[in-house]
Amino acid sequence: MNTIVVAQLQRQFQDYMVSLYQQGYLDNQFTELRKLQDEGSPDFVAEVVSLFFDDCAKLINDMSISLERPDHVDFKQVDSGVHQLKGSSSSVGARRVKNVCIAFKECCDVQNREGCLRCLQQVDYEYKMLKTKLQDLFNLEQQILQAGGTIPQVDIN
Amino acid sequence: MRGDSFSVSIENLPDSPMGSRKKKMKIRKVFDKMTEWVTPWRSNFESPRERMIMRGDVEQDEFQYASSHCLSSYYSVFVARLAIMVMLAILIGLLTVLTWHFTRVYTKQSLQTLAYGLRYELLQRPVLRMWSVLNTTSELTTAQVKLSEYVIKKYDKPTTQEELVEMYQAMKDVTWALFASAKALNAITINYRNGFVQAFHRDPASSSTFYIFSDLKNYSISGTGPGDVSGWNNQSIHGNMSAIWYQQQLDPITGEKLGKPLKIPPDDLINIAGISQVPDGEASWHVTVSKYMDSPLLSAALPVFDASNKSIVAVVGVTTALYSVGQLMRDLVEVHGGHIYLTSQEGYLLATSTNGPLLTNTSNGPKLMKATDSEEWAIKAGAQWLEKTYGSNRPHVVHAENVKLGDQQYYIDSFYLNLKRLPIVGVVIIPRKFIMGKVDERAFKTLVILISASVCIFIIGCVCILILTNGVSKEMKLRAELIRQLDARRRAEASSNYKSQFLANMSHELRTPMAAVIGLLDILISDDCLSNEQYATVTQIRKCSTALLRLLNNILDLSKVESGKLVLEEAEFDLGRELEGLVDMFSVQCINHNVETVLDLSDDMPALVRGDSARLVQIFANLISNSIKFTTTGHIILRGWCENMNSLHDEMSLTVDRKKPWAPMKTKMVQHRSHFQKSFKNTNKMVLWFEVDDTGCGIDPSKWDSVFESFEQADPSTTRTHGGTGLGLCIVRNLVNKMGGEIKVVQKNGLGTLMRLYLILSIPDTADQNIQPDFSKYGLVVLLSMYGSTARMITSKWLRKHGIATVEASDWNELTHIIRDLFETGSGDKSFDSQHNIADPLRAEPSNIKEIENPVFVIVVDIGVLDLTTDIWKEQLNYLDRFSSKAKFAWLLKHDTSNTVKTELRRKGHVMMVNKPLYKAKMIQILEAVIKNRKRSLSSGLRNRGNISDESHDCLEIDPTQFDTCSSDDSSETSGEKQVDKSVKPSTLQSPVLKNYLIDATNSKGDSTSASMTQKNPEEEDWKDRLYSGIALDGKNLKSLEGIRILLAEDTPVLQRVATIMLEKMGATVTAVGDGQQAVDSLNYRSINAQAPTEEHKSSEEETAPWSSLRHSSPYDLILMDCQMPKVDGYEATKAIRKAEIGTELHIPIVALTAHAMSSDEAKCLEVGMDAYLTKPIDRKLMVSTILSLTKPSLSQTSSSS
Repeated sequence: MNTIVVAQLQRQFQDYMVSLYQQGYLDNQFTELRKLQDEGSPDFVAEVVSLFFDDCAKLINDMSISLERPDHVDFKQVDSGVHQLKGSSSSVGARRVKNVCIAFKECCDVQNREGCLRCLQQVDYEYKMLKTKLQDLFNLEQQILQAGGTIPQVDIN
Repeated sequence: MRGDSFSVSIENLPDSPMGSRKKKMKIRKVFDKMTEWVTPWRSNFESPRERMIMRGDVEQDEFQYASSHCLSSYYSVFVARLAIMVMLAILIGLLTVLTWHFTRVYTKQSLQTLAYGLRYELLQRPVLRMWSVLNTTSELTTAQVKLSEYVIKKYDKPTTQEELVEMYQAMKDVTWALFASAKALNAITINYRNGFVQAFHRDPASSSTFYIFSDLKNYSISGTGPGDVSGWNNQSIHGNMSAIWYQQQLDPITGEKLGKPLKIPPDDLINIAGISQVPDGEASWHVTVSKYMDSPLLSAALPVFDASNKSIVAVVGVTTALYSVGQLMRDLVEVHGGHIYLTSQEGYLLATSTNGPLLTNTSNGPKLMKATDSEEWAIKAGAQWLEKTYGSNRPHVVHAENVKLGDQQYYIDSFYLNLKRLPIVGVVIIPRKFIMGKVDERAFKTLVILISASVCIFIIGCVCILILTNGVSKEMKLRAELIRQLDARRRAEASSNYKSQFLANMSHELRTPMAAVIGLLDILISDDCLSNEQYATVTQIRKCSTALLRLLNNILDLSKVESGKLVLEEAEFDLGRELEGLVDMFSVQCINHNVETVLDLSDDMPALVRGDSARLVQIFANLISNSIKFTTTGHIILRGWCENMNSLHDEMSLTVDRKKPWAPMKTKMVQHRSHFQKSFKNTNKMVLWFEVDDTGCGIDPSKWDSVFESFEQADPSTTRTHGGTGLGLCIVRNLVNKMGGEIKVVQKNGLGTLMRLYLILSIPDTADQNIQPDFSKYGLVVLLSMYGSTARMITSKWLRKHGIATVEASDWNELTHIIRDLFETGSGDKSFDSQHNIADPLRAEPSNIKEIENPVFVIVVDIGVLDLTTDIWKEQLNYLDRFSSKAKFAWLLKHDTSNTVKTELRRKGHVMMVNKPLYKAKMIQILEAVIKNRKRSLSSGLRNRGNISDESHDCLEIDPTQFDTCSSDDSSETSGEKQVDKSVKPSTLQSPVLKNYLIDATNSKGDSTSASMTQKNPEEEDWKDRLYSGIALDGKNLKSLEGIRILLAEDTPVLQRVATIMLEKMGATVTAVGDGQQAVDSLNYRSINAQAPTEEHKSSEEETAPWSSLRHSSPYDLILMDCQMPKVDGYEATKAIRKAEIGTELHIPIVALTAHAMSSDEAKCLEVGMDAYLTKPIDRKLMVSTILSLTKPSLSQTSSSS
C-alpha cells in the first residue's frame, strides 16, 4: 500500500520536475544545486531557493521604488539590481527569471523606463510563479519523505 | 447710337489710321488672351509632371519591393508616357477650341448687335423721311382744301364770268402762295366741277415752274349743277379734247409770268386729280408716275366742298416726288454700302438707294416697277429671295443673316410700315463682308494662329514628356540596377559570412579529432614494438596530420580574425626573446637550405612589451616561413627598430632615407597619432617597425597588394612547387591590422622581397628597460670568423657601435692570417698587407687593435669555417688551440653538428658554444661570459692559473627546451612557442637582461645560470601535476580541493551559499564575505608587509624561496571575487590587494566571478590583476580546474621546498 503511494508520488514528482524543465522554469543549474544536497545539508536546495526568493522580493521592491519616479530614474541602481538578480537566478537555475533579467538589462542599458517597468512586472510574475511551482515541488518531496520514500533522481536529458 | 455706329463703321474701314491702331490693340488683346490661356496651360502642364514624378516615386517603391517587375514597369512607363501625351493633346485641343470659340462668339455677338442697330437705323431713316413726305403732302393738301373752301365760299355761286375769273384768280393766287411755300411739292392741281383746271407744276429736270390751266371758254358756270357728281369724271378731261391746255412758265420765286402761255397737248398734262379719286369725299393716296419724272410720285387728293358742305365743288390734288427719299437712301448707302429700297405693299418700288430707274417705260408711258423686276441686281435678288422665302404672307419684320445672294452673303432686313392707305415695306440689303468682313478675316487668322500655336506647344510638350520620362525611366533602370547590385552584394556578403562561420565551425570541429589522432599517433610512435616500416608509416601519418592541423589552425585563425572574434591578449613578454626563439627555430630550416637567417634588432628596442606574444610570433613565423619557402640561397633578415610615438617627427626626419617608401603610411600614421595619443594617453605606446628581407624570387609589384588577400598567391604555380594555401599572409595582415599596424611589400634593391610592417604595442612602465652593458671599457677585441657575410656584417657593425674592436674573417685562410697577424707579432704589418687582399676597414682594424692596451681577444668561430667533410678540422682545431691562452674561443654550432665535434671541442677546453644563428643577445652572452671569466681570473690572481682549466669544464650549450622545440616540431610552432614562453617566463621576469642561452652542463656550480635548471624541474613536475589533476577531476574526485583555503567574496546570498556548498563539497575551506572591503580586510596584508622587505632582501639570490616563506603568511590560497558588489566591487578590491602586494613577493591568486560573459570583461578582470575568470552560473568542473591550476603550483612548490 505504502509503496504504491510512494511510487505514485515519486512518479508524480518526476513528472512535475520534468515539466518544470520542459516549461523552461528551471535549467541544469538547478540539477547541479540538487546534486550538492546530501545528508550533511538536507535542506540545502530549499534554503538556497528561499534565499533566492527573499533576495528577489527585496530586489524587485528596490527596483520598483527606483522606477516609480517617472522623471528621474536611477538606472544605475536598477542596473545593479538586475545584475544581481541575474546572477542569483542563473545560479539557482531559474531560467525564466534569468531570461527576463537579460531583457530587463537590455532595457536598462538603453534607459527605457517603460520597458523596465514591463520587465519588472514580468520578473515579479515569473519569480512568484516559480515560487509556487517550487513550493509544490518541495511539498511533494515532503510527502514522499513522510511516506517513507526517497527522492528520486531525475535525469533531465 | 449714331456715334457708335460710326465708330464701328470706322473700325471696319481698313485704311483709317484709327482702325490700324485698334487693330494693334486688338492683336495685343488677342495675344494677352492667348498668354492668359497659355499661362494656366503651363501650370496645367506642370501638374502632369508632378503626377508623373509621384508616379515615379510609387514605382520606385515598387522597385524596392519587387525588382523583378522591372520590365513590366518599363512598359507601364511607356503607357504612362503615351497617356500623358494624349491627355496633353486633348487639353491643348480643348483650350484651343474654347479660346477660338469664345473670342469669336463674343466679337460676333457684339458685332451682330451693332449691325442690327445699324440696319435698323438705316431703314428707319428713309422710312421716317417717307413718313415726313407723306405728312407734308397731307398737310399741304389739307391747307389747300381749306383755302379753296374759303375762297369758294367767298365767291359763292359765281354768276358772272367776271366773278368766276376773279374767283379763279383768287384761287390761283392762294394756290401759288401755298405752292411757292412748299418747295418739295411737285404739283398742286385744282380741278373744278365745271372742268376747269388750275395747276402749278415744278419740273425738277429743268428746274422751272409752270402754271397749267385749261381754256375757260368751254366751261360754263352753270355747267353742272351742284350735287351732280356724275359730271365729274376723268373722261371729261381727257376725253374732252376740245379743251385747250396752257402751260405758262413762271418765275419759281416770284410767280411772275415768263413768256406766253404755251398750248400743250393733254398728254403732257400732269396728273390732275379728278373727282374720281375722291369718290367718298375722303382724302385718297396713290402713287403715280409722270413722264417728266423718273421716280414715282406720291399724290394725294381731297375734295373741296361748297359752303353748304353738301357738294364737291373742286378736287385738290397734291403731288410730291419721292425723289428726296431716294436721295437720302443713296446718301446712307454711300456711307455704309449695301442697298435699301422701299416698296409698296404690292411690291412696287417706291425708292431705292441706287440710281437705277424705278419705272418701266411701256407704250402707255412709264409705269411702276416691281422690286423683283428691278434692274439693280442686288435688289432684284433680294426681293426674289424674300418672295421665295416668305411668299405672300411676309411677316412685318424680317431679319435674315447670311443670305446667299450670288456668291456673296448678305444681311436682309425688311420692315413693314403700315401707313394708312399706303403701307410701305422697307428692305435693307447689306453685304456681310461690310460688317463682318474684318471679323471673319480675323477669326480665320486667329484660328490659324491658335492651331499652329497649339500644335507647336503639343510638340514641345511631347518632347518634354519624352525627355522627362526618359530621365525617369533611365533613373529607374539605374535604380533597379543598383538594387540588384546591392542585393547581390548582400547575398555575397551573407554567403561570405556563412563561409567564414562555416569554416570556423568546421575547423574547430575538425581540430578536436585531429588532436586525438595526433595524440594517439604519438603514443603509437613511442611504442617500441613497431617495425621500422610501420614506424616510418606512422611518422609519415604524424607529419601529414600536423600539416593538416596547421592548415586547420590557419583557417580558424583567419575566420576568427575576420569575424572579429579574435581578442588579443594583453600580457607582458620579451619581444627580443620571442623573436630570437623564432629565428633559432627557422635557422634550422634555413641552414638546410643554405640560407642565412639573421636577426637584427636595434638596441633601442624595448625588451618588454605588452601584447599578444603568440600572435606576434605567428606574424613573423608566417612571414619568415614564407620567405624560406621562396629563398634558396642568400639570407633572410628580420630587422626591427622602434620609434616612440612622441618622437615621431624627429624620427621621421632622421630616418627619412630608410623609410622613404613608407612616406604615405607614415603620414597616415601621423594623422592617426593624435588619435592614438588621445586614446592611450596613459599608456606608453611604441611603434615598432619590422622588416623581413629575403633574397628569394620576389613578388611582382602588381601583386603587392593582392598577396595579402586570402587564398591569393603571387604565382599560382607555386602551389605545386611550394604548397601552401595562401592563407598565411592574409592572417598576417589581419593580425597586424588588429595590432594597430600595417604591412606592405616595399621596393627593394636587388633580388627578393622586402616586407615592412609596423605594430603599435604598449610598453610596461618599468623604467629603463634597455640595460645595455658597456663593453668598451674592457678592451675587447672580437674576431668574427663566419662564412655568412650578412650576419657577420651586422654583428660586427653592432660590436663596433659598442666600442668593441672587430675583425672579420670569412673563411679559414683569412682567419689564420688574421690570427697570425694578431698574435705572431714577428710577421709585422707589411707581410700582412702584401699577402692578403683584404678590404680597407679590415686592414685598418689590426693596427687599431695593436694600440689597445691589454686586449682581451674573443674569437668567434663558425663551425662551418672548419672543414668538416674530412678530418682536417681536427688539425685546424689543434692549430687554433695554440692561441687558446691568448684568446677566448666561442664556437658557433649548427644544430646538426655531430657530437664528435662537440666532444672534441669540449675536450680541447672550448666551453663557449652557441647554436647558430648568432645574434645580439647571444653575442652579449658570450661577451659577458668572457668578461666574467676575465674578472674572476684577475681577482683570483695569477697564483692559480690552473683555475681557468678548472673552469673549462663549463660546457655551455643551447637551452634544451628551446632546442627541442625547434628541432622536433616546426609545424606546431604556435603551441610550441607558447609552451616555451610559459616555461621560460619566470626566469625572464626575474632577470630581463641575462638570459640563459648557455647552460651549465655539470650543474655543480652555484653560478646564476644554474638556476634555470633547478627551476625547470619543479616546473615540469608541476605540469605533470596539472595534467594529473585534470584526469582526477574527470574521475569524479570530489575532494579535489582538499586543503585549499578559499576566500569567497560574494554579495548575493544565493550565490554565496551555492558556491560555498560547492566548494566545501570538494573539500575546500571556504570563508565567505559580503563585499570587497571585507575581502581586502580579511586578507590582512599590513602585517605581512611589515616583514616582507626583509624576507625579500634575503631571498634576492634565490627565486623560489620567497614563495614558500611568504605563502604561509597569507591566510588564503585563493580568492573567488565577484565583480559587482556593493561598496567596493571586485575590480577595486583586486586593485587594493595587488597594491598591498607591491613590494612583497606575494601574489594571491584571484579568480573573478561575473555574470558578464564578454571577453572584454575578461580583459578588464585580467587588467586589474586577477588571474582567472569564471562566469556565472558556476561550472563546477571549470571552477575546480581553474582553482587547481592556480593553487597547485604553489602547493607543489611548497611541498617541494619543504
